[in-house]
Amino acid sequence: MKKTLGAIAVAAAATLALSACGSGQGSGDSAKGEVSYWMWDANQLPAYQQCADDFHKANPDITVKITQTGWDDYWGKLTNGMASGTAPDTFADHLSKYPEFVTNGQLLALDDAVKADNVDLGQYNSGLADLWVGPDGKRYGLPKDWDTIGLFYNKDMLAKAGISEDQMKNLTWNPQDGGSYEKVIAHLTIDKNGKRGDEPGFDKNNVAVYGLGLESSGSGMGQTQWSFLTGTTGWTHTDKNPWGTKYNYDDPTFQQTIAWWASLADKGYMPKLETTVGASMADNFGAGKAAINSSGSWMIGQYTGYKGVNVGIAPTPVGTDGKRSSMFNGLADSVWAGTKKKDAAVKWVEYTGSKACQDVVASKAVVFPAISSSTDKAAEAFKAKGVDVSAFTQQVKDKTTFLFPITDNASKIDGIMKPAMDAVVSGKAPASSLTDANKQVNALFQQ
Amino acid sequence: MPASTVTVRSHRPAPRRLNWRRAIAWTLLALAIAVSVLPFYWVLRTALSSNHALAANSANLLPADFSLGAFERVFGLQSPAQAVAEGGSGASINFWQYLANSLVFTGTTTICAVFFSSMAAYAFARLRWKGRNAVFSLFLGTMLVPPIFTALPNFLLVKNLGLLNTMLGLVLPYLFMTPFAIFFMRQFFLNMSREVEEAAMLDGARHWRIFFQIVLPNAAAPIATLALLTFMGQWNEYFWPLLVGSDESTRVLTVGLGVFKSQSPQGAPDWSGLMAATLVSALPVLILFAAFGKRIVNSIGFNGTK
Repeated sequence: MKKTLGAIAVAAAATLALSACGSGQGSGDSAKGEVSYWMWDANQLPAYQQCADDFHKANPDITVKITQTGWDDYWGKLTNGMASGTAPDTFADHLSKYPEFVTNGQLLALDDAVKADNVDLGQYNSGLADLWVGPDGKRYGLPKDWDTIGLFYNKDMLAKAGISEDQMKNLTWNPQDGGSYEKVIAHLTIDKNGKRGDEPGFDKNNVAVYGLGLESSGSGMGQTQWSFLTGTTGWTHTDKNPWGTKYNYDDPTFQQTIAWWASLADKGYMPKLETTVGASMADNFGAGKAAINSSGSWMIGQYTGYKGVNVGIAPTPVGTDGKRSSMFNGLADSVWAGTKKKDAAVKWVEYTGSKACQDVVASKAVVFPAISSSTDKAAEAFKAKGVDVSAFTQQVKDKTTFLFPITDNASKIDGIMKPAMDAVVSGKAPASSLTDANKQVNALFQQ
Repeated sequence: MPASTVTVRSHRPAPRRLNWRRAIAWTLLALAIAVSVLPFYWVLRTALSSNHALAANSANLLPADFSLGAFERVFGLQSPAQAVAEGGSGASINFWQYLANSLVFTGTTTICAVFFSSMAAYAFARLRWKGRNAVFSLFLGTMLVPPIFTALPNFLLVKNLGLLNTMLGLVLPYLFMTPFAIFFMRQFFLNMSREVEEAAMLDGARHWRIFFQIVLPNAAAPIATLALLTFMGQWNEYFWPLLVGSDESTRVLTVGLGVFKSQSPQGAPDWSGLMAATLVSALPVLILFAAFGKRIVNSIGFNGTK
């Protein structure tokens, strides 16, 4: 016993000693040494590792150390790290999270570096660079990729239902009767007896295949769930974007759209909300339990990977204004304000925002890089893999996208809107109840 | 079931009525076994499937599109590109490092916690001192505090000590005692016979010596039980190691499993990889239980005199 105790004491002392000198090069040059970089999407890890190696070749005195953490743990770890002074020098940042980082002074402004190194902000797809300018007019990120929304559909189910792919790619929608979008969804829905959703005698309480998959109520954003519908009605999330201070969830047009969408679950064309808890919408699609899923372009790999499922991708339906619509969201790499390697960190972030790195990312066919010319390269790479991604790129080309709404108080708004939207989609409250939620949301900006 | 049915001593076949009962008993037993073993089987079946085929074959009892890829991912034998192609996360998994971390973390905390808790339990059970029972009640009271309450203060303390991402920071909160362990050992010490202890005292032995030479050797069985229980609990500990040991060098297995979770918002986890890793990381505990499981059952009926 005594021996083990002694050994433990020695080990503990050793760990202490090691950790004391483990943090290493604390002093010295902020343009040299090791820069830490965090990201959440492991699918992109090989691409960024390649970028890091190339970067090291060009700058031999800087090494980039990449740590990847899954989305679920990523933000908790990051905020913890910021609170405890152990956050990474650079990290992949998300539009829904970055306003709060800016408010808390956790991000380093990149303006001086962008100016000094003549970074061309015009090389990015239009609008993406503006997303990362804070309310103070300072730049907190350089765009690295973007995503839009599309409809993943099961080709075999479509063929069986007698719907051509051409029809699927030219759907129309309106909030009154749902247009051909609802007709197709209804026709693709099959109950346990083989009756289709638009046939008499359809049993909406025993559905075998849903026409449309459901992931969640979408909270206040509805990025992949309903924003491609509300976007065609002229409705916008906020009074202005970015940095709006008033939300529009009390708008009757918006509430009508949500009411229509929630009615699909009531008609049996879409799963009930309570069945989505803990389930994966994509896996249900892979299991043949849904014919159409609306989802983001970052899910291309997931959907095209399912064995035994023939997947096609259609653009979102044309809506009331005669156009399609999709939320346009982008990621960027940010530098943490507490970094000890400021110059090296900024250099690395500039590199991931540059053509050299984004072409590497493009070649791996995982996401669409932010630089326009690299986007085309990514589309080619996807094509070589046998995936037609025009449903996603078309919206950017036709300029039918609207930018991800950026405001302060994002997590508090989510805390108000998630239960409110859940109640509407599960049929527990009418869509008009969102007016109250909207009051609570807008009260956050009055403080 | 009456005891007579358990051991049939006569050479004649037992009466029919008994067989009936026995059949029912066996059926119930078989059912219970099936219910508890089936999930394990499902884990194994999923681990031996290929990820992309899982969704389409969710009702199949046999592995969907048999593949050992999941286990290759767990042991880090696949290139990231190949792992991604198979529906894995492609994140690097330093399995042996995590295993070593888990062993050090669990081993250290188990040895220390059992040792110090035994000492405290001895003091509570055998020594008479002022306020003893009040202090003990206080100790028991701390069992009512959910660990999540202490997570943040502990985290800040460890951070201010500069021990984040060190093994010491990882084991600190568990090192000295847990109320349950003290309670458990105290119950046992209370039942130990006083004669041996008194004899030792007459021979001039001090508490220190009595504790080490008489009490501890006699308490081998409950100590083994407690060690096993602590080991299992520590092996499965997740939240604290996630907070404090997020670095590769201090990441334990439970936290390491996180790389199989969804990597992007809305993404589905690498199910087969997750199940393979869960299986592999549960093995040490299963082996321990197989080896010492009898001890646990036996020690509960232990009466303290040898």
